[in-house]
Amino acid sequence: MSVASVTPRGPKPGRLTLGRFGLYAFLISAALFFSVPLYVMIVTSLKTMPEIRAGGIFSLPQGLDLSAWKTAWSGACAGTECAGVQAGFWNSVRITLPAVAISVLVGAVNGYALSFWRPRGGTLMFGLLMAGALVPYQVFLYPLVRWFATGHLYNSLPGIVLVHILFGLPLVTLLFRNYFVTIPEELFKASRLDGAGFWRIFAEIMLPMSVPMLVVAAMMQFTGIWNDFLLGLVFAGRENLPMTVQLNNIVNTTTGERLYNVNMAATILTALVPLVIYFVSGRWFVRGIAAGAVKG
Amino acid sequence: MKHRIKRSLMPFGALLPTWLAVVLVYIGAMVWTLRLSFTNSRIFPTDHYVGFAQYEKLLSSSKWMAAAGNLVVFGVLYIAGCLVIGFLLAAALDRQVRFESLFRTIFLYPYAMSFVVTGLIWQWLMNPLLGVQASVQAWGWSGFSFDLLSSRELAIYGVVIAGVWQGAGLVMVMMLAGMRGIDTEQWRAARIDGIPVWRTYVSVVLPQLGPALAAVSTILTMGVIKTYDLVVAITNGGPGTATEVPAKFIMDNLFQRQNLGLATAAAVMLLMSVLIVVAPFRFVSSMRARRKAGVL
Amino acid sequence: MKLASLLLAGVAFAATTGMAAAEDLKAEVFTSWTTGGELKAADAIKQAFEARGGTWETSSVAGFENANAAFQNRMMAGDPPAAKQVVIGMEQREYIDGGLYMPITKVAEAGHWADVMPKAIYDNVTFDGEVYEVPTGIHGESWMFYSMAAFKKAGIEAAPADWDSFFADMDKLKAAGLTPIAWGGQSWQETKVFNMILLSQVGLDGFRKIYIDRDAAAIKSEGVRKTLEIFGKLRGYIDEGAAGRNWNDATAMVIKGTAGVQFMGDWAKGEFSNAGETAGVDYGCALAPASPGMIYIGDAFAFPNLKGAEAAQDLLAEVVMDPKVQVAFSLAKGSIPVRTDVDTSQFDVCTQQAITLMNDGKIVPEHAITLTLEQTGMLTDFVGDFFSNPEADLDDAMESFAEVFE
Repeated sequence: MSVASVTPRGPKPGRLTLGRFGLYAFLISAALFFSVPLYVMIVTSLKTMPEIRAGGIFSLPQGLDLSAWKTAWSGACAGTECAGVQAGFWNSVRITLPAVAISVLVGAVNGYALSFWRPRGGTLMFGLLMAGALVPYQVFLYPLVRWFATGHLYNSLPGIVLVHILFGLPLVTLLFRNYFVTIPEELFKASRLDGAGFWRIFAEIMLPMSVPMLVVAAMMQFTGIWNDFLLGLVFAGRENLPMTVQLNNIVNTTTGERLYNVNMAATILTALVPLVIYFVSGRWFVRGIAAGAVKG
Repeated sequence: MKHRIKRSLMPFGALLPTWLAVVLVYIGAMVWTLRLSFTNSRIFPTDHYVGFAQYEKLLSSSKWMAAAGNLVVFGVLYIAGCLVIGFLLAAALDRQVRFESLFRTIFLYPYAMSFVVTGLIWQWLMNPLLGVQASVQAWGWSGFSFDLLSSRELAIYGVVIAGVWQGAGLVMVMMLAGMRGIDTEQWRAARIDGIPVWRTYVSVVLPQLGPALAAVSTILTMGVIKTYDLVVAITNGGPGTATEVPAKFIMDNLFQRQNLGLATAAAVMLLMSVLIVVAPFRFVSSMRARRKAGVL
Repeated sequence: MKLASLLLAGVAFAATTGMAAAEDLKAEVFTSWTTGGELKAADAIKQAFEARGGTWETSSVAGFENANAAFQNRMMAGDPPAAKQVVIGMEQREYIDGGLYMPITKVAEAGHWADVMPKAIYDNVTFDGEVYEVPTGIHGESWMFYSMAAFKKAGIEAAPADWDSFFADMDKLKAAGLTPIAWGGQSWQETKVFNMILLSQVGLDGFRKIYIDRDAAAIKSEGVRKTLEIFGKLRGYIDEGAAGRNWNDATAMVIKGTAGVQFMGDWAKGEFSNAGETAGVDYGCALAPASPGMIYIGDAFAFPNLKGAEAAQDLLAEVVMDPKVQVAFSLAKGSIPVRTDVDTSQFDVCTQQAITLMNDGKIVPEHAITLTLEQTGMLTDFVGDFFSNPEADLDDAMESFAEVFE
């Protein structure tokens, strides 16, 4: 990423001062700490079961055995079908994309309306949402299942997407409300004096300014929905079961045999899409987008 | 005249879908939950009211009391740990380092992984015979001890460590997004005034992150209340009730012990206690945030 | 037996011809079986079911908590599967009392289940005179698996027959530098060990008095105190990494020979055979010391009320009890067929021993079959709490144990 031109600040990279050295030392040691579990997962996934039983969770595998990965992707059994985690991949995509897009957009609108327009009852609504988020969502399943069954939304793709949007509301609303609060009100007032309406201010001024928060909200929603297991299991129906249902069936047996190498590979494979998103989202994490918009 | 009405109705109209969700789903489900908590419902809801019997049962349950106590310890340490480490990581990454995307992904990946398996990894890492302790001792430091999970007193700290590992990356991303929203002018000014970088972060950047911090803290609080997977995967509440948490208590009674009445009573109790603790704090911090942002 | 299978075939024929199209014999089967042996076992039922004209659809969710959550919500939505894998006994009581399951008494009568099943198990699947569940097999769960290599190294000749010699042997293992007991530090596993000791101290009748009759005197008897004493003593023979350990990780310790014994249900044999070990050669199986019999847990199918699925449900119930299916299922799963009239020659030494015990009536159901789910949970909490607290007072523990049954 070359963002240096937009960001005139701090020492230039490449000049290795003591401070920079300390900075990298901190980052690298933190990265090492964070990576330890991943390292264990990867080496375990490359071992054979006898090697794993022999112990030594940090030891390197004796050979490069990729069979666990292959099994995890397309061969591991879940039920009497042995198709690995890939079976639910497209279902996960079909559930996650619309749910993320809609909920982030709704969150942005909510945050914008609550922060700048402050309609009557807005604070109450926000408070209720926050309170709702403090109840473990499993408690809400029963009534929701009933309502969905009555409304013919149960066991359908729109149904599961709607469930994710509903449960995501507190989070996205909170994120955007607290983000827009930091944007100077003068900017909003000026636009209103220019005669811009609710949606125009939102689309032309506020949305472009909230790119970093859009990215964060999308990331969080994506991760949450992609990793959801219980809601998908209950609401999606047999045709739309997400990847995590297969993952659970592979890793979560009680009295069956546990193939740790396959479990590790399946877990990493299931997490790959969010991981790629984390990696490429960097280009939007750029200083100055919001600040620049304020000035312009 | 017409124009004016449209303008004042629009924000309300934009919030309407969320209002609907709040009233129908959140309030509806909460009322439903409250009602059931006064019944002796077992697997299905009944109308057999038993007054406060479920609450009395709850308060006399040593398991619930242990769970509530653990939640406080876990919550405080987890939130503090995530905030401190997340902020430090964000500040470090904000210093325009090389491989920022890589570092960011490393700090964030735990958030993307199913805890069923990463929990097992932590269980291994903290196992005195398999994990970190065994390795460090093998390198020659024979007195080294890292054996949290077998102890009734220390196990909860083991859960905290794994929790912070999972949650700190999220705080980092949100802080980073906030930092990138700060006007570059302020950086320039601070540099001209000769203020050291670390002080700029503490006294210029941190105060401006107020709303973002509030959002992060709220999200972490929601996470703490709902902590379930983490505990199930690492300790399953043990040894004894040393790491029992309310969400697990609720889930157990909901789906394992078929005691809907007790589960809903626990959910109500949890919500009430959190509101009593959090509400005043939230109120003050949001007022302060608004004032600072010039909204009030 | 011949007559029975003839009859079965006859009923099946009637059912298939009556319903004609395979469409009508479609059954969605909801199980928690998702891995290796479990799948092969389920497949044995599936094959037989489809050979008789049924169409089998699998819905599997691993982990009991997850499976229950999904299933309960589907029942709530009025969208049940045709068959649900359940634990025999009290687990499904609420559903049955609520009239949500279809009785299969007719199938049971036509197949003479009462004559071919041990009475204890037949009672477990009968509720108020109606049969609601068809058992797929039972698991013996009061086993002590031991490593031949470890025993040899410590100079132990044979599996200990009583608790005194057990502790003497454990001391020998310790002296040989081995971990005496491969302990799975999760309370559900600990509860199984507790039950094994309890059975050895109060006997088959005492065990039934406590867990089936909830007899106050038996619950407070000296045998329970002795049980807690022995159980507590085990704390001194486990390694420091036992907390939270999965049972299969404990089994791996026995396979490696670094630990002497593991107390576990017969499903642990799957781990041994996956590691290429043979019962009676590389590892031994014996009932827990001083056991007068065996504790069992059993899986079954129950059939939620579902319009249009009745024929498929009846057929599935018949198929599960088919002698060949019973044998094939248990061979794959490591369990024990519930029929006393099947060919047992293909089973390993451990299962043979279990079958003899079953046929002699020397079996008792574990607590989960006879207690309510809430009591089961309380018992698990009690045992986990007691074991993890070396300072636990015996009198207090006796009281807490009694509270489970109130």
